[in-house]
Amino acid sequence: MNFPTIYSITETEIDLNDLLAKITLSSTGAAAIFTGMVRGVTSRDTPHETIYLEYESYIPMAEAKMKQVADEIRQKWSSIEGIAIVQRIGRLYPKTPTVLIACTAAHRDTGVFEAARYGIDRLKEIVPIWKKEVGPKGEEWVEGDYFPKANE
Amino acid sequence: MTTFLLNHDEARLRIYKKTSMNKIKILFFATIKDKAGTKSIDLDIPNEMTIKQLKEKLAAEYPNLKESMKAVLMTINREYAFDEAVIPLNAEIALFPPVSGG
Repeated sequence: MNFPTIYSITETEIDLNDLLAKITLSSTGAAAIFTGMVRGVTSRDTPHETIYLEYESYIPMAEAKMKQVADEIRQKWSSIEGIAIVQRIGRLYPKTPTVLIACTAAHRDTGVFEAARYGIDRLKEIVPIWKKEVGPKGEEWVEGDYFPKANE
Repeated sequence: MTTFLLNHDEARLRIYKKTSMNKIKILFFATIKDKAGTKSIDLDIPNEMTIKQLKEKLAAEYPNLKESMKAVLMTINREYAFDEAVIPLNAEIALFPPVSGG
């Protein structure tokens, strides 16, 4: 069986229906989809407002690392059929979807939720993408806190 | 004779490695790009230079980057690399802060 794996950095709108169709096989009965969007108003931690986020990426490495995340998902959950990992970059305004991780499987109780969760967590650890937050008080690069180890 | 030639070649290779330069490309992203004031530079470095030595060289030549070198991520040919790694010929190096995608 040839399971589809899609991974890309894009500057255009993320098309959920198109991606979902591409990772749906005749044996598929479940999909877990995570999508993140630009949050205009943040109340947790340091409350603040966001006018827009400016994303950039080291594209060839990012796509290779997304492929690696997909490979890790398949190693952990052999039930997974299709995987789509897409990050949109450029200037993105509140309510705009910025990232999408979707995993499909035959049934919902096969680890498909966990697989999608793992995908977004791993993307935030090892895929070289950064965002600059622009708000009413100025702009600031958002920095993660994960330091990859050897062979990551 | 063969042995002599081999030894000779090895010696020449050793001299070559010590004296020749390695042309590398360095890419900067996010905060590091802002501090460097450029997206990328081409650099000649001695052969067999390690990531740690390159960090020290950059900190010395780009005072703005010195502070960032303490918590920078580095890659060699699009794989994460660490202090002891030796930089291969014509490598593509990148420096950037911990990632924040999503």
